[in-house]
Amino acid sequence: MGDASGALSVRGLGYRYRGGKGHALKNVDLEIGEGEFVVVMGPSGAGKSTLCTAFNGLIPHFLRGRMEGDVFVRGRSTREGKVGEFAQEVGLVFQDFEAQLFSTNVALEVAFGPENFRVDHEEMERRVEGVLGRVRLTGFEGREPATLSGGQKQRLAIASVLAIEPRILCLDEPTTDLDPLGKLGVFQIAEELRQREDVTLVVVEHETEETLDADRIVILREGEIVADRPAHEVLRDVDLLEESSVMPLQVTRLFKELGVEREELPLTPQEGVEEFRRRGFSVNPERHRELIAADEERGREYGEPVIEVEDLAHRYPNGVVALEGVDLTVRRGEFLAVLGQNGSGKTTLVKHFNGLLYPTEGHVRVGGEETGKQGIRKLGQRIGYVFQNPDHQIFSDTVADEVAFGPKIRGMEDDETKERVAEALRAVGMEGYDEEDPFGLTKGGRQRVAVASVLAVRPEVLILDEPTTGLDYAEQRSMMDLVRRLNEAGSTIIIVTHTMWVVAEYAHRAAVIRQGRVVLNGTVREVFAEEEVLRDASLRPPHIVSLGNSLGHTVLSVEEMLRATEEG
Amino acid sequence: MAPSLYLDRDTWIHRLDPRTKMFLLLGMFVLAFVFLSPVYEAVILLLVLFFGYLARSLSNLLRIWFILVVIAVFTIILWSIFGSGRTPLFLFVEREALLYGISIALRIDATVIAGMVFLSTTRNEEVAIGLVRLSIPYRFAFAVSTALRLVPTVAATGFTISEAQRSRGLDLESGNLIQRIRKYLPLLVPVFISTVRSTNVFSMALESKGFGASAKRTFYFQTSIGRRDVVVLVVFVALLVVTLALRVAGYGGLEGFTR
Repeated sequence: MGDASGALSVRGLGYRYRGGKGHALKNVDLEIGEGEFVVVMGPSGAGKSTLCTAFNGLIPHFLRGRMEGDVFVRGRSTREGKVGEFAQEVGLVFQDFEAQLFSTNVALEVAFGPENFRVDHEEMERRVEGVLGRVRLTGFEGREPATLSGGQKQRLAIASVLAIEPRILCLDEPTTDLDPLGKLGVFQIAEELRQREDVTLVVVEHETEETLDADRIVILREGEIVADRPAHEVLRDVDLLEESSVMPLQVTRLFKELGVEREELPLTPQEGVEEFRRRGFSVNPERHRELIAADEERGREYGEPVIEVEDLAHRYPNGVVALEGVDLTVRRGEFLAVLGQNGSGKTTLVKHFNGLLYPTEGHVRVGGEETGKQGIRKLGQRIGYVFQNPDHQIFSDTVADEVAFGPKIRGMEDDETKERVAEALRAVGMEGYDEEDPFGLTKGGRQRVAVASVLAVRPEVLILDEPTTGLDYAEQRSMMDLVRRLNEAGSTIIIVTHTMWVVAEYAHRAAVIRQGRVVLNGTVREVFAEEEVLRDASLRPPHIVSLGNSLGHTVLSVEEMLRATEEG
Repeated sequence: MAPSLYLDRDTWIHRLDPRTKMFLLLGMFVLAFVFLSPVYEAVILLLVLFFGYLARSLSNLLRIWFILVVIAVFTIILWSIFGSGRTPLFLFVEREALLYGISIALRIDATVIAGMVFLSTTRNEEVAIGLVRLSIPYRFAFAVSTALRLVPTVAATGFTISEAQRSRGLDLESGNLIQRIRKYLPLLVPVFISTVRSTNVFSMALESKGFGASAKRTFYFQTSIGRRDVVVLVVFVALLVVTLALRVAGYGGLEGFTR
């Protein structure tokens, strides 16, 4: 056996869950040195989370399954000790941060780890104070974790692990459910940790824009490592990323399409702007005007107003004002994105459209009639609402039964129901899955079943809350292509999302909510031109939009930029 | 929607040692179960409410009043029908049966409210430490406090799920009892599955933070039995003794009631 003296050393690791269909990990070899920052990427189901659980001995000690090979933590095999012993070396923060928090206030949450290791009270107080300072939660000691925002919860989950003072920190998709500035906050903390204290950092991440500071990127596919190279090299390998269901950096892809050599590809918008000018490229104003003209043309084709919001205010029973003075009109055939920070009120707003909530002041009219007079059941015929987590609604044994729930409960005949189920499954690309068990599908598959089950009622308007969360890039694309097809077939679409490139490439119009008020409302192009206002609302446009803005012309996708660019 | 009953207020009841609070809760249960007469039970209920007032915790009544009313109404009706006594009142209901029903209703509500005051003034962590200080193994103590935590978490998940299913047309308000129970299936299955899933993550997170790494552990939360605790305990024990003596002497019963 060779030298296993790095921070983490993985040798020929294989893993098969008990009852699992195949290997979750196959023959994985990985060496991570002290102080390195390694990002692990790859499609859903590639074994990324499984790999994390092997780092602190949850595999093989806690999870049931068969392990091959070895994992060494600073020279010691995980087979030789309990999870608790390795917990002091390897801190593991799980993807689902809600499920990890259990204490009644922030300080107690942080203290839980040190308590297990019999840290005395004085030292514990020092650690709580220090760690909360590092994750910028000073002053929150007495708050109940459940009352924190998503970003704060994630930072607390990190703090609770940091308090054990591990030398190696492993974060499993720490930013999936966060708004763009929340994501940035988490990565700034990660970067500071590494620079200040020589902590080794392993991060599983879907979003390429967040991996720019990494030393190395490891790509897993079907349980095997297909790439393990310096980050900037991997980021320039656009084809490899696309094959691995990872979104390539937009600026990099743009310049690749423009024929720039791989070694010279820029990564960030700033580098992009410099490279663009250096090569003498320019934006053709005529072609950019055509893009704007196309937006305007589309704007003229919408039908009559379906949803009208007038001076809406919503106050929760506990007195919290969630919305104030909101005016908004949604016309037939539109594709609207509602944006805003966690807790800005965007979900509260869309819940008014289908009668889950009613205005405490002002008016919400659907089809010209007040929602309060129609009620949730009647509104449900016109307004379909797909919740963020498909597991919060799926309950049937078969896909067909699940999709039939809506039509049946509304008293439709069997023949009619069958036809609608078939139609809805066809619309989401799941024909032939009728008899499958929905719980056996992937997250993307379950998401589609949830969409189909709402479509089966044939609503005019479809509201989707975070339709791409927890999906990999390929799944996100196919989900959003589906939504676009539905829109083109006549459905009015409203999405609530944090994923900015999805807004840029798919939505027509965007409304930005900040502290319960609409601060921007216009075509996506108009909204994304206002980078300052977006930043105040904790939002950040995608890289390609920033690049375009810096060049004085707002574009929404790599394809648009290519169309508008003139070479030399 | 606030997820748990605990109210972070700085009253002297909040500051009591968790062991004292547990003893008070048990004592209240004993008091509530001693008497049969509605008048005596009403006094016990008032005592519980007085504690709740001192602990500034009565605002939580707003969250459980519906359960209290349902329990009271059902208990009174059932005992009036099924109990029997000597003095006919109307139809087949006897005076003693009605009074007994009222006693039991007051008794159950008093114990529920006592539990509410306890949870409003005691953190889950305090429950765990209290039990450990009473020489109960930490793993068991932690399980108890985790169970307490699970209730509000499941309730919150259930709320989201009911929103999702109502959006799909589920109508929980109409139909007879059996139809209604069947309608809850679309809620129960996702609640169950989500809970199992998050419990699994939760237990992995515990392991990863060194839960059970060593047989002993330290506590961030400091507790000690102080002078205030001793005074409260002495006064309360005296109260218990007096009440039990009263009951033995024949007060607080209910003449003429038979099951």
